[in-house]
Amino acid sequence: MSSFSNPHYMYLFDLKNGKKKLAYGESPEDALDILSVRLSDAEMAEIMTDSYVKISQRDLQKHVSELG
Amino acid sequence: MGITWPWAAKRTSDILWLDLGDLGDLINPDGPHEQWQDHGLGLLRTILHQNGIQTDILSTRAVTSWDQLAKQLPGYKMMLMNVRSYTYPSAYKAAQIFKEINPDGIILTGGMHATVALDEMQAVPEFDKICQGPGEKVIVDLVRNPDDFPRVIQGVGASSMAEWPMIDRTLWPKPASRRVRRKFNWPLEPECGWGPGPVVTILTSRVCPWQCVFCNENSYIPNMGRRPVDAVIDELNYLDDKHGVGSIVIHDSMFFQNPRWLREWIEKYPRRANKVWPYWAAARSDTVRQWPDLFEALIRETNWKTISIGFESGSDRILRLLNKECTEEDNNFTIDLLNKIADEYEAQGKEPPKFWANIMLGIPGETPEDAFKTMRMLKRMKWVFPSISYYAPYPGSALGFQLIAEGKSLMSKDNYHRFPDDEKVRGVDYQFYRELLAGKYDDIINQGLDAVRHGSDLYQGALVKA
Repeated sequence: MSSFSNPHYMYLFDLKNGKKKLAYGESPEDALDILSVRLSDAEMAEIMTDSYVKISQRDLQKHVSELG
Repeated sequence: MGITWPWAAKRTSDILWLDLGDLGDLINPDGPHEQWQDHGLGLLRTILHQNGIQTDILSTRAVTSWDQLAKQLPGYKMMLMNVRSYTYPSAYKAAQIFKEINPDGIILTGGMHATVALDEMQAVPEFDKICQGPGEKVIVDLVRNPDDFPRVIQGVGASSMAEWPMIDRTLWPKPASRRVRRKFNWPLEPECGWGPGPVVTILTSRVCPWQCVFCNENSYIPNMGRRPVDAVIDELNYLDDKHGVGSIVIHDSMFFQNPRWLREWIEKYPRRANKVWPYWAAARSDTVRQWPDLFEALIRETNWKTISIGFESGSDRILRLLNKECTEEDNNFTIDLLNKIADEYEAQGKEPPKFWANIMLGIPGETPEDAFKTMRMLKRMKWVFPSISYYAPYPGSALGFQLIAEGKSLMSKDNYHRFPDDEKVRGVDYQFYRELLAGKYDDIINQGLDAVRHGSDLYQGALVKA
């Protein structure tokens, strides 16, 4: 009963190149863990893991141009 | 007035609504789903006509070449199109042809692609007006006085589906060949294997509130109140009285939500509908696990015969990556429950309910073992129509936007088309998936099963458009 017991949130992590990486999970740590499923170590190293904001899904479209 | 294509309906207006889709889909369709009608078009044309604005209808699906379409366009002063990402190339091409023939004509566009990929819409100079978001509260004024509006318009929608008029289904395009006409049941829709024809497609709700990152429709479709149960049943009875209904496709993104509405549906549909028609509708495995009694009651008491579940993957690793917020355990619970109900139906000599199992392959980060687990999950379903697609990074969705930004999407505005075999993401080993679907790894898949109910024929040929 995942969405009822363990809801997920969206996070925008700052990247070293000034862009942002969209991630999602139960917590920022979980979101980074999920990102690591598909990103290489080099791509993960670009993420500033302690610099992020939590966003609402409803605001997703506002952040599209910031992604990298 | 210019030359009229000989098979076109008589012209009644200088305003044209162009229905979009693959050329020839209403003449010689690949499958039944290509023949489904556009509810946005139906709703907005109904609103226009009820407000005294007549429009003609043409369809790219009703011609087999762009030249055939061009011959029907001379003399129109305005053309409207509902543009989705996968019809964007058709809309673009049709707009160019329309403007060549009618240089002073005006083109009004709207639809999902205008909302999620405005930059691509703005890059087409032929699109004179682009309406983002819902259009039902703005379309009458926009068509009457387009010059009063800027090029990009923020649409205004109803706060509840209760405000929508009942769609006049005779405003939908007609099948365009004798062969298709014979089986189509227009203005209802053709039988597609889920229940007897004539089929009624209908919406009872809009917007799935969950956050699956291949969709995220809640980020670009405003929340809207659900259609009252009585209004849904009244429309079904009206259509049955007029045309005869065989079965229903409830085309909601997520039917199995809002338990209060569902309980009212259980109470009223069997009692008030002319007949308890079988229907197709969608759920999630975690909602089934949360409300199993409600799920079972809907199947047993309202004839929910084809249960569409977005299982997507049989691997927790990938379910997390898709932000599905469902687990392997949720999926297995749902499979076990429906298998049990189906066994009882079979024992009673009744046709069992079936899954319409949505499965996604080719997800970036997916390993062969993840894919094997998914196929194993599929094989655990006793009664199932598999609907398998390669993951497609559409704009509008969180993962789609992110992959586009990373330069990993192979989809382009010229190739939004959802051909099943299209390779959609850079770095995904599609050859592996072709071999998987051809049965090459069936021995490995079967090793993890208690009982092997299905061979690889279950998924051979089950790849569909994303």
